[in-house]
Amino acid sequence: MTHEEVSSMGTAAKLVTVTINGKKYGADEDEILLSVAVREKIAIPHLCYEASLDPYGACRLCMVEVVRHGKREMVTSCTTRVTDGLEVVTDGPEVVKHRSILFELYLAEAPKSEVIKAMAARYGVTKTRFLKKIDTTDSLGNKCILCGLCVRACNELMGAGAIGFVNRGPYTVVNTPYFEASRDCLGCGACVKVCPTNAVEMEDQKNERIMKSWSNTRVPLAQCDCCGRYYAPKALAATILARVTPSLKEEIARCCPECRGKLIAKKEILAKTGGAR
Amino acid sequence: MKIKSVTDLVAKKKVGLQKILPGKPRIAVGLATCGIAVGGDRVYERLKEIIDKDRLDITLTKVGCIGYCKEEPLVNITIPGKPLVILHKVDESDAEEIIRSVQNGGVPYDRALCQVPAWDHVTGCVMDYGKGFDRIPLYDNIPFFQHQKKVILRDAGLINPEDIDEYIAIGGYFSAIKALTGMDPDSIIEEVEKSGLRGRGGAGFPTGLKWRITRDVKADKKYIICNADEGDPGAYMNRNEMESDPHMLIEGMIIGAFAMGAAEGLIYIRAEYPLAIKRLTLAIEQAREYGLLGKDIFSTGFLFDIRIATGAGAFVCGESTALVASIEGRTGRPHPRPPRLTDIGGGLFGYPTDLNNVETWCNIPVIISNGSGWYATIGARGNTGTKVFSLVGKVDRVGLVEVPLGTTLSTIVSDIGNGGANNRKVKAVQTGGPSGGCIPFRLFDTPVDFESLNKAGSIMGSGGIVVMDEDTDMVDIARYFINFATGESCGKCVPCREGLKHALLLLNRIMAKKGTKQDLETLALLSDTIVATSLCGLGQTAPNPVLTTLAYFRDEYDALVKP
Repeated sequence: MTHEEVSSMGTAAKLVTVTINGKKYGADEDEILLSVAVREKIAIPHLCYEASLDPYGACRLCMVEVVRHGKREMVTSCTTRVTDGLEVVTDGPEVVKHRSILFELYLAEAPKSEVIKAMAARYGVTKTRFLKKIDTTDSLGNKCILCGLCVRACNELMGAGAIGFVNRGPYTVVNTPYFEASRDCLGCGACVKVCPTNAVEMEDQKNERIMKSWSNTRVPLAQCDCCGRYYAPKALAATILARVTPSLKEEIARCCPECRGKLIAKKEILAKTGGAR
Repeated sequence: MKIKSVTDLVAKKKVGLQKILPGKPRIAVGLATCGIAVGGDRVYERLKEIIDKDRLDITLTKVGCIGYCKEEPLVNITIPGKPLVILHKVDESDAEEIIRSVQNGGVPYDRALCQVPAWDHVTGCVMDYGKGFDRIPLYDNIPFFQHQKKVILRDAGLINPEDIDEYIAIGGYFSAIKALTGMDPDSIIEEVEKSGLRGRGGAGFPTGLKWRITRDVKADKKYIICNADEGDPGAYMNRNEMESDPHMLIEGMIIGAFAMGAAEGLIYIRAEYPLAIKRLTLAIEQAREYGLLGKDIFSTGFLFDIRIATGAGAFVCGESTALVASIEGRTGRPHPRPPRLTDIGGGLFGYPTDLNNVETWCNIPVIISNGSGWYATIGARGNTGTKVFSLVGKVDRVGLVEVPLGTTLSTIVSDIGNGGANNRKVKAVQTGGPSGGCIPFRLFDTPVDFESLNKAGSIMGSGGIVVMDEDTDMVDIARYFINFATGESCGKCVPCREGLKHALLLLNRIMAKKGTKQDLETLALLSDTIVATSLCGLGQTAPNPVLTTLAYFRDEYDALVKP
């Protein structure tokens, strides 16, 4: 197979060498610089990056210096794609200076976030000169840094579009439209999972899931026909089951994943043993 | 009737000339938004009432604005064989006197500002009005006008923007027919490259190069967009260009579309410009009717049409990626580049897209009609052509000023603007809108070009020049602009969203005399970080007013803070 055939199939990317802090690393051409750093365990702080989503570039913490024609230029490593011979410095004095100010801004924006405090402390920032934002009505507990991961996961990964940015500039918050309980929320909890500062809260109460941060949206949970346990949001289960081909038999579909497994195993045993005990 | 050939166009030109020089007196009222704001529409209505009542043989028409806002409402009068006379500070009570004078073959002398015996519309038409009225000063001798060079505002205030025939009369659409029938796309782009034209939206990127990049991308479909989201406080150049001469923008876009191979163009215009939207809509309809937009333009097989997309009031939508997001119906928030608009996947609906400012497009017809060589002689090396500035603030002669690039600030503010209003001393100017910097009086020999303004800590921006006098509090000015930028930040990235907010809080504290020297230091450091780390141009330039006032007017800050 020629090289062109391989690349047209998108199977093999060209291998390149990048220099990060004086050390050479191999990477795929056009790979995201931050993902190379993460893989190679090079510490670059970041809050808004998620490999399964498009580069976003909002938190600005992953800024590094790229050396081009002998000059250093600050770029976000989550939006920079590597090319052969790329030279990167992650901790130059310029980066350290600006990053410290950014951390101070984060400490003021999300004063209740332990994650932010710990991350900032790792980079030597323990105090902020800026006025801390304390909003007692904040449904995200003064921990949200507006990285947008929850919004993007909800929209781009789940296709639900239940939450979005409200207002703009310093008044921006994340919530449901008009701060009303959402009818589009699947209750999947992806927002909770991706939140880097553990700001998004949800709680399962008996037969419903309450998205506490999203205007207390209540999502009914599906009950397992076999064991009676509430195992997943109804809407989420329906969305996922609709994608399974061939579709599951009704009796199996109405069970929780554990019971489903047991049920299938039982049927197979029955089929093999011909029903004898 | 569709215009298919030069012969058709020449026929229309005759029709248009009949309208501009109707062989009887013509009264034209300056009715751009600025003129209407000071009562131009009332003058027009009153004149109409008198003419209609007595069934007078006088043509009454609307024109745009010639730019001398301080003297508005402006009315110009053409009497066959006599020079065009511009009347100033006209109100409706002058209407009867105007009509009486015109009927007697004269003009009301006490309202006359100047006379224009002949006017060069640049696009191959010199309008010869005539001689006479020796008592009225010549246009060229009026200080506000004499240092200006009208290339973009070549027709503004002289032709009816709501009538395509008048645009054709002064040489309009002749560049389009020349380009489409006599030039190939490459030679058009070459002309634009050789002219040295740089983007008038503020960044100064070479227009020809941007066109070439767009042309060279291989794609099934391409878009061109006109950025008419002029949002800088105090800036209204683009508004006047569209309200006074909408067809020059359309003609520029037709030529650009042909050169780049685009079939569809969009004008992204802010909803706060209703009159510009109305006149552009009308102009597009007229151009379609004449076959200048649509299928098979000038029988060349070339297809191109323009749509208008209105913004919903966000300053950040002037940023290219946010602008595209807004047209697509998404929230106007910038995304990191690359991909650039010209890249596959980066432009409108994913197609390669060329985005140019209103004024950039308006330069195209003259570059084609007069050639790149002619254009390149205007202005300075590396900064060719003219630029329109809105000269506002505490300056005596407020208005729209068009000068060759490289003209000094002193010429603009002192010679054209006549210095401070009410005889106050001018202290500084702020160029480039909210993201520009304040340049002190002692640096007024700075030539206004992209590089020199950057060196002085400011930017060209789209062309706002706000004058400050000795009574202006520079800290307050910085606070005003930071307040504006904070409110217009989209909120995506932290330095712009949080950084500007804290800069504003610090400035408020300093203004309230509660700040310390430490606060000033924090403010300076914070500003640097916002510039260095923001995602888009809004954040990267928003601290300029703070940084420049800290550099040039540090004493005003020091006087406000505790040691």
